[in-house]
Amino acid sequence: MSVEAAPRPVGVDIQENEENRAVVEAIEADNDDLTVRHMPGIIRLTKSGQLVINQASIEERLGRPWETHEFQMAMISYFGEFVEWDDDRIVIAWKH
Amino acid sequence: MTVPTQKPARKLSMQQRYSALTHDLDWDPTYVTEEEIYPYTTFEGIKVHDWSKWEDPFRLTVEAYNKYQAEKDRRLYAVLDGFAQSQGQLGLTEARYMNAMKIFLQGIPSGEYQAHRNFSHLARYFNGPGARFASLCQSLDELRHAQTEVHTLSHYNKFFGGMHDWSRMSDRVWYLSVPKSFFDDAGTAGPFEWLIAIGFSFEYLLTNLLFVPFMSGAAFNGDLPTMTFGFSAQSDESRHMTLGLEGIKFMLEQDEDNLPIVQAWLDKWFWRGYRLISLVAGMMDYMLPKRVMSWKEAFELYFEEQMLNGLFKDLEYYGIKPPRHVQWAIDEKEILSHQVYWVLYQYSHAAAFTTTIPDAEDQAWLEEAYPDTWPVFKSVVWDKAQRVVDSGERYFNPGLPQLCQVCQIPMGFTEPGNPLVQCQRHSIYEGERYDFCSDGCQWIFDREPEKYVQAWLPVHQIYQGNCGGPTLPDVAVWYGLEPGDGGEYIGSMDHQDWLAWHAPTIKEG
Amino acid sequence: MQFELRTQVVEPRRKTFSNLVRRYGDRPASRYEEGSVDIQATENFHYRPLWAPDKELYDPTYTAFRLTDPYSFMDPRQLYYAPYVQSRAASGEAFAKSLEYVDTRQLLLKLPEGWQAIVADLLLPLRHYEAGAELISIEGSRFAYGTTIDQACTYAAFDRIGNAQNISRVGIAFNDGHAHALAEAKEKWLGDPALQGLRRLIEELLIERDYAKELVALDLCDRLLYSVMFTHLDEAALLSGAGAYSLVAQHFSTWFLDQRRWIDQLIKTWFADPEYSEVNKAAFNDVLARRWNQIVEAVSDVAAALDARVDTGAAAAAQAATSAVAAQLSELGLTVPGGK
Repeated sequence: MSVEAAPRPVGVDIQENEENRAVVEAIEADNDDLTVRHMPGIIRLTKSGQLVINQASIEERLGRPWETHEFQMAMISYFGEFVEWDDDRIVIAWKH
Repeated sequence: MTVPTQKPARKLSMQQRYSALTHDLDWDPTYVTEEEIYPYTTFEGIKVHDWSKWEDPFRLTVEAYNKYQAEKDRRLYAVLDGFAQSQGQLGLTEARYMNAMKIFLQGIPSGEYQAHRNFSHLARYFNGPGARFASLCQSLDELRHAQTEVHTLSHYNKFFGGMHDWSRMSDRVWYLSVPKSFFDDAGTAGPFEWLIAIGFSFEYLLTNLLFVPFMSGAAFNGDLPTMTFGFSAQSDESRHMTLGLEGIKFMLEQDEDNLPIVQAWLDKWFWRGYRLISLVAGMMDYMLPKRVMSWKEAFELYFEEQMLNGLFKDLEYYGIKPPRHVQWAIDEKEILSHQVYWVLYQYSHAAAFTTTIPDAEDQAWLEEAYPDTWPVFKSVVWDKAQRVVDSGERYFNPGLPQLCQVCQIPMGFTEPGNPLVQCQRHSIYEGERYDFCSDGCQWIFDREPEKYVQAWLPVHQIYQGNCGGPTLPDVAVWYGLEPGDGGEYIGSMDHQDWLAWHAPTIKEG
Repeated sequence: MQFELRTQVVEPRRKTFSNLVRRYGDRPASRYEEGSVDIQATENFHYRPLWAPDKELYDPTYTAFRLTDPYSFMDPRQLYYAPYVQSRAASGEAFAKSLEYVDTRQLLLKLPEGWQAIVADLLLPLRHYEAGAELISIEGSRFAYGTTIDQACTYAAFDRIGNAQNISRVGIAFNDGHAHALAEAKEKWLGDPALQGLRRLIEELLIERDYAKELVALDLCDRLLYSVMFTHLDEAALLSGAGAYSLVAQHFSTWFLDQRRWIDQLIKTWFADPEYSEVNKAAFNDVLARRWNQIVEAVSDVAAALDARVDTGAAAAAQAATSAVAAQLSELGLTVPGGK
């Protein structure tokens, strides 16, 4: 399933810590052409179109079960819209 | 995070389960009418045909909410305890950094608390169970933020001035009527306007500007508790942004007659919120000893790029246009922080924070961040202030400023394109003259003059004798100001203590 | 060591915030106090609410119950947000464990027939009662005067929607993972005569516009209903081979004990107020005069319906609870209307 997404940038700010490294790595692996910017304490990931966070990729890197709800613990902010938030993945995009 | 115990396979999807646990709890009343139970959702003119169309992408349940929030707070309070035990305040960049935190404590927890109470209003009075439950969670979050802010700064209060009477000050002190009137304005509006005002315009459009650079700045200045609190609060904020975005889209999708109402609220609340966070501009550029980014850069990144080029292109689909006075804000981005801090500098003898002339390092940074505007501003303002200091005095404005009737900030903003001419607008209502700092504030007044004439304007109140007495010392007592709260930073109690704590004899122990 | 030397010279200027020093003297304050006392604005409001132009944004006259000092009420549990969510995360986990135990062994499906009827017809519909109770409680979160009362109401509201969700989870487990028992329970809530007294009460309370009167009436009903549905039936279930019901019920009884602590303290504070004690008793009596018989009847309807499914003596238990609560209220100097 793919989500129709407007080709404008969307992004997410993630708190930089050990726990979230796997989350960031998974997002980097699953999203081509990602822009990564470091600020004190924050990693900012932006991308044109849609940004996907996959449960399976994160679990693989963490070596434990990871519920998509847990993404709220990692995220500081975002821009775009959560067009999908399910058990297995989260998608950020602009709908129009 | 503890690993959840293995659950039996679910037969209901996340969405079905969420629906069974939230939306489906509602029923249509028969002993009384729906209008009697929810009497406040019609007078604003917003038309809703089907509340079940309200979507909450997070689909949190009470169980999940408690689990994740408990974990967040366990982490946060562990940091606060550790910081206090290790006298972490000694590791800040400089004591003057705390001025930003003083304004934060005096202005923000009261606002968070207002948000808590008014989201409870929505949690009670929205007809739709999905909208109510999201509002309920946000109400709890906002209470969390008010309390964690107070608890985060509680340790600093023991060692620095300006924070000791924040709740009374937020009801009384002149510059704190800026945030107070903002939240009072939203809380006295109807539930849909509140949602556009706070849920959308403030949370979605503007809080990133308030929090992200600010908390990153805290990280940069050795303020571990504020950074931890801020990032932890922001993780709730993502849910709040979603509620705001869902709210505006819901209104726009329910009926096309809602568009002009929503657009007018958006125009109003963008400008209200933007004026409010201009205080943040002054704090970011002038009060942090080490800076992450300038106001101008943050505005470009978090507002122009994300909102104007991202969000508003999305909302175009519904016929929404960018906020009415947005160009004025863009034009101001190079001068806003200079003007705000100059106001704070002149009046800090009547405030619960201290200010000082930017030092050489600050000036070099300002020159690089604002090559076009800083040199002019420096020669017009700071060189003069420096000459006063060189003569052994400190310039404070002896008079009381005129305040804008809407945003309540002292009139110190300038005409667009002409940073040397003060902007002043006025309207006549029922024979009285009311003054404004900008076209934006005047436009807001002219839409609802009967509301804004009620404003409790601190300067008027002082003249009317409602603030403890006729002289500045009387007012200072009524404000709850103590020695060490306000004035010039250099030589202040905070500054002297800081030097004593870091005196070489102790450092080399 | 550098660190120790430093800490020796750093004397704090003050122990806590000035508002707490004014109230309690110069002593260290708890996090409950710092996060709860004097947080709400009390003066210099800017504008009148569009939806209540005769009131201030925060106004003690939103209810007939008054306190001279709103912070004379302090939550005996001292709950602020962090300990609140932590305690609820723990009780949520405990409930989930009980339910998982019941669910994996399919104990709800193996309940004796009469007990299955009790769950389907009378327990599951109460999720709507709890949802209504949430709305009543959150009204206090907006309209209470002072942060300590607001805060207790807020947590009560969240607890009650949590209770509603937990009852719904029982329903999903009862159906082996599907939701149709919930749909049937909703029909019962809307139409079964045994439940109409409760539903009518909730709906009528929701249009009162006095959060404290609503809260008091709800609490009177809770005292009787919880006593029958959870305390009485818990014991009866154990005696009649319905252990799954007991496992579920104990969580609600435990929650209600916690809920009682702050409500009892609030009532005590109202009646001990130096200025408003009589005003508050009159307001309480007004609730009793208007609602007591309605509540007693609504709960006895439920009790009769319980006995019709399994004769556990629920009607007698309801009567005993009614007499006990009436006696407690009389002891407080209140006037309890005579029964039907």
